Amino acid sequence: MALTAGAGLTIRVGAAEPPAEVSIARCPAYGEGVVKVLGQMFEQLGGIGKLVSGKRVAIKINMETPLRDRTGFRPAWYTRWTHPDVIRAAVVLFSQAGAQRIRILESSCEDDHPLEENFVIGGWDPDRILKAAPNVEMENTGSLGYGKQYHRIEVKGKPYIYPAFDVNHSYVECDVMVSMAKLKEHRLLGLALSMENMLGITPPTIYGESAAYEEPSIRPYGRRLMFETGYRQPSEPSPKEVDPSSPRDPGYRLPRVIVDLLRARPVHLAILDGIETQTASESASVEPDSARKIRLVKPGVLIAGWNPVATDAAGAAVMGFDPMASRGKPPFEKCDSVLRLAEEAGVGAGDLRKINIAGATPDSVRFPFRQQG
Amino acid sequence: MAELIPFRWPKEWADASRLELLKGTPINCLVGEAPPPFPLGNLQFVKLAKGQSPEGVTVHEGVWPRVLPASTKDAAEAGATGAAWVDSNAGVIRMAQTLEPGKAVWLDYEAPGGNEVVPLDRFARAVAEAQAYNAHWIVTLSPPFLEGLEKKSQEAAGAWKRVVAAMNLFQAHPEWRTYEPVAALAVVSSFEGEVQLMSEEFVKLAPRRHLAYRVFRTADLAGVSLDQFKGVIYIEAQPPDGEVRKKLLAFAEAGGLLVSPQGLVSGEPSEIRIGYRIHRAGKGRVAMPPEAWYDPYLLMGEVHQLLSHREDVVRVWNGADMNSHFVAPPGQERGVVHLIHYSSGTTQPVTLGFSRPYRRARVYTLDGSRDIQPEAGGLGIEFPVGEFSSYAAVEVQS
Repeated sequence: MALTAGAGLTIRVGAAEPPAEVSIARCPAYGEGVVKVLGQMFEQLGGIGKLVSGKRVAIKINMETPLRDRTGFRPAWYTRWTHPDVIRAAVVLFSQAGAQRIRILESSCEDDHPLEENFVIGGWDPDRILKAAPNVEMENTGSLGYGKQYHRIEVKGKPYIYPAFDVNHSYVECDVMVSMAKLKEHRLLGLALSMENMLGITPPTIYGESAAYEEPSIRPYGRRLMFETGYRQPSEPSPKEVDPSSPRDPGYRLPRVIVDLLRARPVHLAILDGIETQTASESASVEPDSARKIRLVKPGVLIAGWNPVATDAAGAAVMGFDPMASRGKPPFEKCDSVLRLAEEAGVGAGDLRKINIAGATPDSVRFPFRQQG
Repeated sequence: MAELIPFRWPKEWADASRLELLKGTPINCLVGEAPPPFPLGNLQFVKLAKGQSPEGVTVHEGVWPRVLPASTKDAAEAGATGAAWVDSNAGVIRMAQTLEPGKAVWLDYEAPGGNEVVPLDRFARAVAEAQAYNAHWIVTLSPPFLEGLEKKSQEAAGAWKRVVAAMNLFQAHPEWRTYEPVAALAVVSSFEGEVQLMSEEFVKLAPRRHLAYRVFRTADLAGVSLDQFKGVIYIEAQPPDGEVRKKLLAFAEAGGLLVSPQGLVSGEPSEIRIGYRIHRAGKGRVAMPPEAWYDPYLLMGEVHQLLSHREDVVRVWNGADMNSHFVAPPGQERGVVHLIHYSSGTTQPVTLGFSRPYRRARVYTLDGSRDIQPEAGGLGIEFPVGEFSSYAAVEVQS
């Protein structure tokens, strides 16, 4: 059976149809109910077992620093970070599906604390995730972490900006890569979803503002400003830009760096937490001259898909944007479209007409972010 | 003797009518090189000579409390944290109280001069910062402040009102001065010789991470109960010996974390974390660094990590450029968290978190007070304190 869901979107359901690439579901609140909803979504995607059974699963969550910043009084889990209940739900389901090991990953730009400590700093007990299933681990990948050396991941195909990246061991010592992000906007990129989340796999010891030149710093600190402006190259001996004379415009560079990263470290499953979030910014503030203000909102939606481009395209549609908009149009007023670039690079489909979506339609759960503030 | 609240009498003020400014304020003591040439009424005069402290008082040089101003557009001076550098007097006061117990601590400093324009409303922060740590700043009005008062400018009158409001707030809560710092960490050091810089800097920098601590001299350790602490950092060049060793090892064996220089215990460690060799000791742990400590900021971060942020007695969100100082009476059924904001302008909405289930809280600022309600947080109780400028006190109660 096929349903038309607006914007030329075709939704296929039924046992005879091929598994959907993206699943969208209403999920009005955090709590134990997230496990059930996410489980149903995985079923709509054809089951998670074939992906994770017997495998080492890495989950790159979104827990952007500063760790002690909140949007108003609201803990960051509800505004700009992946909520622990969604992380926990995935952990439970992966474990039930036979995952050999599940490692939760995020890189801090302000400290080399164990990731568990950063959960505590944010105001959450990490044991609620660590004890949700056997063989669950956490690692702060902002530096070497528990590894002894950085590992090189090379961009498949012709790179836009960087030919390869050096990353923490956990991004290569895994069989399955999951990007689990918040459904939120980005001040420059327009969207901060599962693709943008992968920027965080790069260690600030090499790519951060305080990265040393001759070798990686020992401790991470600072934003990855070189990705935006190209003001310098990564620490030695990490790979440098393929063309240092390419445009230094952040709106040109950052989407391309993301696509390079996705081709170097492919994502097998993308999950977007849109149960509660915020508008206007990926951080706890907007620029002083911004016409927009951050609003705390409750779209009440979860989105999951095998491909990060397709999943983010569905996310963009839910947020009220045209995923195939070009630069200059919302949400890509300040940058090239990361969705278009990713599609051009063969990472996945950003055009909703090419995506099989199961569950709710984007129209039925649409939550226009720009109308919220 | 009543507690002295000092005010530096400006040399330029030769007229007794100037005393009107101090009427109705808590100031009861004029400070200067020589007394003014007129009767002072109930005010006491204390001669302050360089390098000498009045009886019962220890006077220390302080710094104008603030985030260091930007040296380039849109950038503040970077500190050890990579974040803006904060000039705070917390460490100086805590050290003075440790090294000269029983004496009142006065801070002697002036607002920056030269080409720097210091908004007059910042003077109240200087008063509040010192009193939050149970000390006093010798209120020293700057030439622009004096000129403003002379011309009866609204800005100067308003700033003076805030200075007095800060004093009155503390006068209205004398019990706060009897409270002791609440902390999971004890810092033990001689604060002398080759470790002086390391240990004093540790004490000065720890507030940057909201790492609460109490300070003890090694020589005083015999009379100190360590029962309330979860961790002890022993900052000396050599590991402890004799009675100090015995006491610190007993603390670890009872379940605490003892961070000590290398050599306290030998053998294979049970764990290595952030380079520290961690040995089991009874119910607790002894952690020793891989090499001699050389950076107090790194040491502070390492200790915080070894101890775990779970042991933070108060958690502060949106508290950048801010010190928190939690003090309470024994039992901690109630207490007060002093929050000193070193940046200009108002804070972001601040939230405090406690593991202890306090039920009520009241926020005091220089503009008034109000009750706030607790909310369930991920790690205990949270109180939405809100926005304020310069200073707030949050009184909590079980």
